[in-house]
This record gives sequence, structure tokens and C-alpha cells, in this order.
Amino acid sequence: MQHGSREVRGGMAASALHDDHGPQQIQNPGLHDDFFDQMLSGLPSAWPDLGNPKSPWDASAAQKLFRIDLAGKPPDESQPEAATEGLRYASYDEATMLASRLSQSQGSGGSSPTGEAMMLQLNNHHILPAVGLSRTAVGGGVGESGLLPLPLTLGSCGAADPRIIVETPRDEMDPPFESPDHNGGEELYNGLGGSIRAAQPGTGQHFHHPQNYGGAAAPAGVGQGPAASASSGGGTPPQKQKVRARRGQATDPHSIAERLRRERIAERMKALQELVPNGNKTDKASMLDEIIDYVKFLQLQVKVLSMSRLGGAAAVAPLVADVSTEGPGGRAGANGAAAGGNNDSLRATEHRVAKMMEEDMGSAMQYLQGKGLCLMPISLASAISSAACRPSAGGLVPAPPAPPTSAAAAAAESPAASSSASALTVQSAAADATAPKR
Amino acid sequence: MDSKSSACSSPNPNPTLGPSKLMLAFRFLRALSLVRRTTPASSRTCRGRRIERAAYASMAYTAGASRAWSRAVLRRLHHRARRRAVAPRRLSTTAGNRAEALRRLVPGGGGMDYCTLLEETADYIKCLSMQVELMQGIVDSASSYGP
Repeated sequence: MQHGSREVRGGMAASALHDDHGPQQIQNPGLHDDFFDQMLSGLPSAWPDLGNPKSPWDASAAQKLFRIDLAGKPPDESQPEAATEGLRYASYDEATMLASRLSQSQGSGGSSPTGEAMMLQLNNHHILPAVGLSRTAVGGGVGESGLLPLPLTLGSCGAADPRIIVETPRDEMDPPFESPDHNGGEELYNGLGGSIRAAQPGTGQHFHHPQNYGGAAAPAGVGQGPAASASSGGGTPPQKQKVRARRGQATDPHSIAERLRRERIAERMKALQELVPNGNKTDKASMLDEIIDYVKFLQLQVKVLSMSRLGGAAAVAPLVADVSTEGPGGRAGANGAAAGGNNDSLRATEHRVAKMMEEDMGSAMQYLQGKGLCLMPISLASAISSAACRPSAGGLVPAPPAPPTSAAAAAAESPAASSSASALTVQSAAADATAPKR
Repeated sequence: MDSKSSACSSPNPNPTLGPSKLMLAFRFLRALSLVRRTTPASSRTCRGRRIERAAYASMAYTAGASRAWSRAVLRRLHHRARRRAVAPRRLSTTAGNRAEALRRLVPGGGGMDYCTLLEETADYIKCLSMQVELMQGIVDSASSYGP
């Protein structure tokens, strides 16, 4: 027992050293699909440790595993190794059953985490030397521990990509299985435990033993393949036989990263398609051409508009500071220089509002309203100022305090052009008329 | 230009909301008024160029420093304020260098991978179209009054 556990521990250490994907073996345990729950529910109490992905290499857990198998059997020097050998094959077969069932449950399933795929691949590699070793002598620790976690990791990391794992073992393992089927098989099951075989002859035993394990390890056992699949049918949809890796679905980390990158690029291209007019090109190259042309067009438009602004520049009196010169006597100062005594307070207000707008639009709006000012769209401001320009429209100016007609007229007399186009903040004519009167 | 930098205040404090039309209008109009005040009326082309620079500056400030293209625009503007740099030449796109052409168009596109380039292009297009819309609106309302 101790010998076996020591071996296992050593094997684990060895495999950990050999394994360059070691850190990724500690996978995200938060995957609770039906299959996973099923597996865990089928485990005896000793197994939850093994099911825990944080400690798949736990030596004590492995020890418990062995004890399940060897309970009641006379302790034997060769037995742990033998048991592990048998375990190796049993686990492998169980692993393939698990993997195929995983493929059922996650056949259409989501992305296979890179680490898990690699972990399974790693275990594949471990399986192969394990097979070779078992033929000849007691398997090295690498082999055992390589297989040991296989059902564990498959169970714990539910979303593993089973397509790959199922394929590789089948292809590479089966031929070796074929040839020595009879003698090798016998040999293996000899190794399985002289004690077990001693009890009952025949190959029926090798089904029985894995069945113990099957009960322990998972609802799947070699002997109860179909039964197990039926029992686990609740969690897995009955789409089997899909064990071939899909084309382009390599487990290679580079290709997975490549795939992710391509998906991201496709997303961005879709977003760009919506922005760009005529973005219904299916061809990527023509889509890129459209994007380039559109960017060029927009930049040209900016250039042209900035040039053309020169003509209307005289008409454009951009901001509050200029607009405020609409007050009485503001006629001269309406365009260009916004100098004027009644201007300073407004300019200070403008700066204050600007600062507030940077932080919080809401408070800026409230401040403006407190001052009797408002923000309005430029076109509306133009319309209002044009309406205010005409003396007859003086009464139509929307001001809370009814302005004296003369004052409104005076305010309205200032050239509309100054306030026409680009005033962002426009004082109501009344406020305009009344405020500067100090 | 000092006038440009003084016209533009701190960048957008809400980067997550995306570029805001109102903030853009506010900044651009302020910059525009500054240009009007400081440039002599005689130099038409000079004023046109300044307005264009004001447009890009307000775009970049509104987009915020979270975007690579806005940072590149501001960098270019500040550098140009000190020394007169030549505008980069733009070659036509051929079959082979579409990505390069896009990189040349989008500011700061040279130093990023393709994926980021596409993302920046989308944001750049959004901001550019907002700016064009704003300027067109200004010109429209101006033209309806001026002779």
C-alpha cells in the first residue's frame, strides 16, 4: 500500500516536472453541467477528493482510490502495481466512455478551454507510454499518474473538448490493442491482480473489476457501457459517434488563439459595417476598401467645411459672449470683439458653465436655469432671434417676465446675424434686455 | 498654437459613455469663436486650416484620452504647435496594403495590431461623422442668414 502510494506520489512529481502544461492542470472548477453533477453524485465518499480539480494529484486521494480496489485483498508487493495496471486500462476505457459521453453532452458545446484540451492531450501522451509499459513490466509512475487523473479531470472539468481526446486514443490505442489482444489481454488481466483472478476465472472478471471502479469512478464502466450511457442519458443528449475532431478545431494553443483573434476581428468588422454606409459587402477586402473610402471622405468633408466657413464666418458669432452684446448699445459690438461692460459677467458665467459641463451636465443645466438661461439647439436659437429681430414679433418672445416692448424692440434691433447661427446658450430676450440694465 | 490649447480644456471625464454630441458642439464652438477672434480676416486659408485644427482638437478632447487615435491627434497638434511639421502623405490603396492604408488614415494607427486598428477606426468614424454633422449644421444655419 505504502509502496503503491509512494510510487504514485513519485509518479505525480515526475509527471509534474515533465508536464509543461502543469499550471493549467488546475482548471476552473466552476463548471457544473449535468454530466459533472452526475459523475460526482455517482462517486463514493472517498472520491470527492479526487473529483476536486484543485487536487487531482492528491496522493492521499489516490491512496483512497487504491484502497477501494484492494479492499479485502491480501496486501501484496506486486499488487499495487498490478492494481494500478489494471486500473490503468480500466481507467483508460472508462476515460474513453467518459469522453464519448462528454462529447454527447457538449457536442455542440462551447469553447474548449485551452488548458483543458491540453490537459487531456497530455493525458493522452501519458496513456501511450502507460500501455507500452504495462506490457512489459510494472508501469512507471509517470504512466499511472498520467492515467489516474484522466477520469478525474474529465469529471471535474466538464467542458473539456472531448472530440480530440477521443480520437487520438482510439486511433493510436486500438491497433496496439488488437494484436496482443489475447495474450496481452490475458497478461494485463493477470496483472490486474492475481488475487482477483484467483477468485474467478475467465474474462468475465475483468469486466467485474472495472465495474467496481465504474461504480466508484463514474456511472460509466467498461462492462456497463450501454447501460451507463442509458443511465447518464438524462444529462447527455443521445448524439454519439461524433468522435472525429472537426476540421480546423485543433487543440494547438496557437490555433485556438488564432481562432479567438479571428473572431474578435469579425466582431469589429461587423461593428464597422453598421457605421459605414454601403456596408453590406460580404467580401472582407471590399469592406475594408469601403471603410477606407469613408474615412477619407469624412476627413475631406471636415476640410471643406472648415474652408467654407470663411464665407459665413462673419455671420457666425459663436458663443454667449458675442450673443450677450445684443443688449442695448450692443449693435456696434455685436460682431467680432465682444468687449463691453455688460459682457464680463456673462463671460464669467460662460466659463463657469463650461467648467460645470465638464463634470456634470445636470448641475450645469440647473445652474443655467437658475440664471434664467437655457440651452437650445442652434436652429431654434436662430429662429427665435430672427423672430425677435422683427419688431412686430417683439411680443412673441418667450420671456417669463413680460418685457417692456421698447426694451424688447431695442434688444431685437441688434442684428440677428450676431445671434443667428451658432449660439449655444441664448438668453431669453427679456433677460437680455433686463439684465444688462444696471 | 497657444490659442488652440487654451481653447480646449480638460478631456471628457466620462469615457464610458462614448463621445457626446453636446460636449463636442460646446468645445468646437468655443474653439471656433477663438479662431474668429484671433485670426485676421484677410488670411482666408490660414483661418480655414485653423478651423480644421480646431475641429480635430475638439474631436480628440471630446473622445477623451482613452482612445489611441485621440491621443495621437493631440500629440500631433501639440507637436505641430512647436514646429511646423508636414502633413503625412497619403498613398492610394492597392490590393496588398489595405491595412496599411487604413493605418495611415487613422491617427496613431501605425503602432497597433489589426484588431485594435479596427476598433479605433470604428470610434474614429463615429467621432468624425459627429464633427461633420456639427459643422454642416453650423454652416447651414449660418447660410440661411448671411448673404
